[in-house]
Amino acid sequence: MGSMFIATNAIRASLVVTLSAATAGAGLAAPPNQSPIPNFAPNSHTSWALDQTIDDLLPPSSGPGPITFDPAHPYIPNFRGAQPTYRVADLTNPILQPWVRERMRHANDEVLAGKVPFRARERCWPIGVPGFVIYSLIEGFYFLQTPHKVTIINPGGPEVRQILMNVPHSADPKPSWYGESVGHYEGDDTLVIDTIGITDKTFVDNYRTPHTTKLHVVERLKLIEDGSRVQISVMVDDPGAFTIPWSATQRWRRMDRGPLSEAPCNENNANYFQKYGVPTPTADRPDF
Amino acid sequence: MGIFWVFAGAGSTLTALLAIPALSGPAHAQTPDISGTYWASEYHPKIQIVGGGDLPLTPAGKAAYEKNMAGLKDGSITDTARKFCVPDGLPRVLATPYPFEIIQAPPGQVTIIHELNHQVRVVAMGKPMPTVRELTTFPFYNGHSVGHFEGDTLVIHTAGFNEKTFIDATGAPHTDEMTTLERIRRINPTQIEDVITIHDPQYYSRDWQARFVYNLRNDVRLEDYVCGEPHRDLSSVAGVRRP
Repeated sequence: MGSMFIATNAIRASLVVTLSAATAGAGLAAPPNQSPIPNFAPNSHTSWALDQTIDDLLPPSSGPGPITFDPAHPYIPNFRGAQPTYRVADLTNPILQPWVRERMRHANDEVLAGKVPFRARERCWPIGVPGFVIYSLIEGFYFLQTPHKVTIINPGGPEVRQILMNVPHSADPKPSWYGESVGHYEGDDTLVIDTIGITDKTFVDNYRTPHTTKLHVVERLKLIEDGSRVQISVMVDDPGAFTIPWSATQRWRRMDRGPLSEAPCNENNANYFQKYGVPTPTADRPDF
Repeated sequence: MGIFWVFAGAGSTLTALLAIPALSGPAHAQTPDISGTYWASEYHPKIQIVGGGDLPLTPAGKAAYEKNMAGLKDGSITDTARKFCVPDGLPRVLATPYPFEIIQAPPGQVTIIHELNHQVRVVAMGKPMPTVRELTTFPFYNGHSVGHFEGDTLVIHTAGFNEKTFIDATGAPHTDEMTTLERIRRINPTQIEDVITIHDPQYYSRDWQARFVYNLRNDVRLEDYVCGEPHRDLSSVAGVRRP
């Protein structure tokens, strides 16, 4: 046990170094340089959609990885030529701390008992980070790039993320749905996003993996294949929920379907037959 | 693949932080800069029309307004923008007591992101209005907007609204044939105005205008907004009454 903790802490320490390096050089609000930077929005019609039409965080080539499905209950998405299923999480993944495993076991049991599991996009709730990169199966992600901020919008909500560029994190950000994201570019192809301050009301993924407010996520969005794809790598650390830092991947493909349009999630998400356990966000009283 | 940042204009730290393609011509550098985060200092549930007085309702408009007011009062009509946080529509969204951000990106577009209901308005710059067929096939809460600059003024034409929104929080009505014209410009270094003209002859006997003034607040970061949760302090906005 002791050696495991030493190993875990060593990995955490190395990750901290990595994360620090990820934001190194970004401590000053330096004026934008004149070097080429990755262009995720060459025109107003460009958006990015999941390349493999599966809204899962995918395992890395090596090392600890994200939650996937229980092999005894394979997850079959829509349009695969077989009866689709709901997600049942693989609880043998060693990244899970005991309390997380137990909470997920309860969620699994509900699915196996026939309940419809929670999925943020389906119920119009913010998905948080790192889930944002797998938020939508269909709608694309749109980028608004300015020197001091990158805004990423998914119209199916809409969900809006703001990444402040070339600044350090604030000392103690108040937890919020998308946390506090700071970023910088590496070369002319990669956007690095470092996020903390994420509310523990979100799940890490669509397997209902909970986390704490200690969650720290570093995403690397790299333009590849002549700008037709974005290779996404995600590093996740949360000493309150996971035994070890872990990583995941995904890919987006470029679409040029048209500009960002209006698709408010809460318009058409009635809870027919009360099949969903979680209502969509609703205000019993007007906000003002 | 790469882009360069190009600074247009001079004199203000807020001036012209425009992302333009590296191969674009210098003409883009002349684009006026109205980007920034803005926040009104007052809120009016009932729209204040330029010149004062009441809304110039037609008989059909008056009947629709009375029906809306009665329905909102007895609960037979739901204010979906507040209850389900769908978009407010024009011109109601302009009355927002929450901050919003104008971003002049991506190229060829002005994007307005509201903290309230995290609604996003997209203004296609230099483009023609979609055809009537397109507008009526896909009517939007906030309509379809096209824009251009006249001098330092951003001019936005909007059409293709659905009929699910109100003109204001009191339930003033509009039809799906409403069109609007907005003129947005800086009126001093720290404020912009948006003067909107409403054209909806079925419900209004003449075109009428409303004017909204916003303070530049680049010290404010838009917050996440989820329906039904506690949101930011609005005590700095006169006229806001929280339940």
